[in-house]
Amino acid sequence: MRSFIISSSAVKIDRYYDKNFKELAIESIKDLEKKISEPLEPEALIISSVAVEHLDRQSNMAGIIADYLGLRNIRVYRVESGEASGLAAVQIAHSLVSSKAVKKALVIGVDKLSDMPNAKIAELYSYLKDSDYIQIHGVSPLSEAALLAKIYMKTYDYSYEDLFIWPFTMHQNSLDTPHAQLRFKISPDSYKESPILAEPLRLLDSYPFGDGASALYIVSEDVAEEYDVNVSIEGLSSSNDVNDIASREDLLIFSAVRDSFIKTLKMADIELGKLKYIEIHDNYTPNAFIVLESIGLADRGKAPELLQDSMIGSAHVNLSGGLKARGNPWGATGIYQVHEIFSALLGEFKKSVLGEIEYAAAQNMSGCGDVSYSIVLKRVR
Amino acid sequence: MMFERSPAKIWRNRDVLYRLKYSYCRDCKRSFYPPRGRCIYCGSSNIEHRYSSGRGVVKEFTVVYQTPVGFTDMSPMVIGLIEMEEGFRLLAQIVDVKPEEISNGMKVEAVLRRMIVDGETGLIYYGIKFAPLIEKS
Ligand SMILES: [Zn+2]
Repeated sequence: MRSFIISSSAVKIDRYYDKNFKELAIESIKDLEKKISEPLEPEALIISSVAVEHLDRQSNMAGIIADYLGLRNIRVYRVESGEASGLAAVQIAHSLVSSKAVKKALVIGVDKLSDMPNAKIAELYSYLKDSDYIQIHGVSPLSEAALLAKIYMKTYDYSYEDLFIWPFTMHQNSLDTPHAQLRFKISPDSYKESPILAEPLRLLDSYPFGDGASALYIVSEDVAEEYDVNVSIEGLSSSNDVNDIASREDLLIFSAVRDSFIKTLKMADIELGKLKYIEIHDNYTPNAFIVLESIGLADRGKAPELLQDSMIGSAHVNLSGGLKARGNPWGATGIYQVHEIFSALLGEFKKSVLGEIEYAAAQNMSGCGDVSYSIVLKRVR
Repeated sequence: MMFERSPAKIWRNRDVLYRLKYSYCRDCKRSFYPPRGRCIYCGSSNIEHRYSSGRGVVKEFTVVYQTPVGFTDMSPMVIGLIEMEEGFRLLAQIVDVKPEEISNGMKVEAVLRRMIVDGETGLIYYGIKFAPLIEKS
């Protein structure tokens, strides 16, 4: 039971004070529409957004965007699964198409973190944690990631400077990513001198707050056959962990990330070595290393040593620049990741590095691996 | 005038927030917090609820500067990973001590403190933070 992606697009992640959520979402499908040979007539619209209620006082976002797009008598859904909302929305589209409920589904991810001051965005980010018992302490994924960084460094004997390889590589990679929010190199000094967010983590260990929207057109096999190039969703799965990291028995492996990745590879019926390109969810520097080790690209504690020129093992990782430099507009992030790996399979993204590849994957999670989704795409012809 | 946080929500959580009510699994003998109806380790529903002594040890901590709205006046704020005497761990603020004087392995105890002041109503929400343990002779 497969579904196919035939078109995608993404706006540059930036500050769009002049555009509201609807306008940014609609902006994101302009390119997508140009790349298909028929009128855009989805039978389902799935909107991924984490914070539209809080940032824009808006519910029923899918119904309203459908209205602005002139779509009538279709199925509409708004999906929210924390920072993993993007791939959760793709999973809904894939399920609708592969179960033959619809033939064409349009998925749009959108969030606008520039619409409010940073302290408000930090508050909304803490909403990813249990509101009764965790948020009340002022805990957010940032403080959790800071604790993980200290535990990671002590357990595996790394200095803070040793972690620089990740943000450095991400900023290197984003230089030629057209939709990246940050396109500049960073030096060890700028890393060590950037403001502290939660020690030891500094600004350059985190992602920039920005506005973004990205879109995918997911269709059934008979629709896809009319196109020269076919990219199929071969595997797509998810998993969860306890929301409270203090209760985890093993803090240095994200079990939801590992479990969802294993299930996704199994569904796609491939080994990890087949993947030449993977986009991972690196909301904070330590999380990037823990994710790489959780999905099996590096042994425990080895990711910082093994990473070379954005390659780890046989896979290129986060050629976009990742959340760190491409950006992390929450509900849109997973859609950006799929846009990137889909475009790479078409030979339209990072071709000089990747050449022609058959398989690519993305991993999209919330907080410190509270829930995680993975997807494997294959170029079929 | 509107509440940003529900007073009822804080009131109904009083045993967990103020008395550190936690769960003990009779099957796998492990404890966890906040309490749940099923064991987060083995899935058993053979659970009993207990109350913590409030004493624990700092396993790790971080000093947070980018604090959420409601906590900005506490910045920089120390968040500790604390292992309680009863074996469960939790994340909470560490207070009454300078960050440079905190170390892993330090003994701490629960103290009742102001958590958040509701933006519009000024209503104060209290909760548990941790301070260095004062040994009573
Ligand atoms: Zn148990």
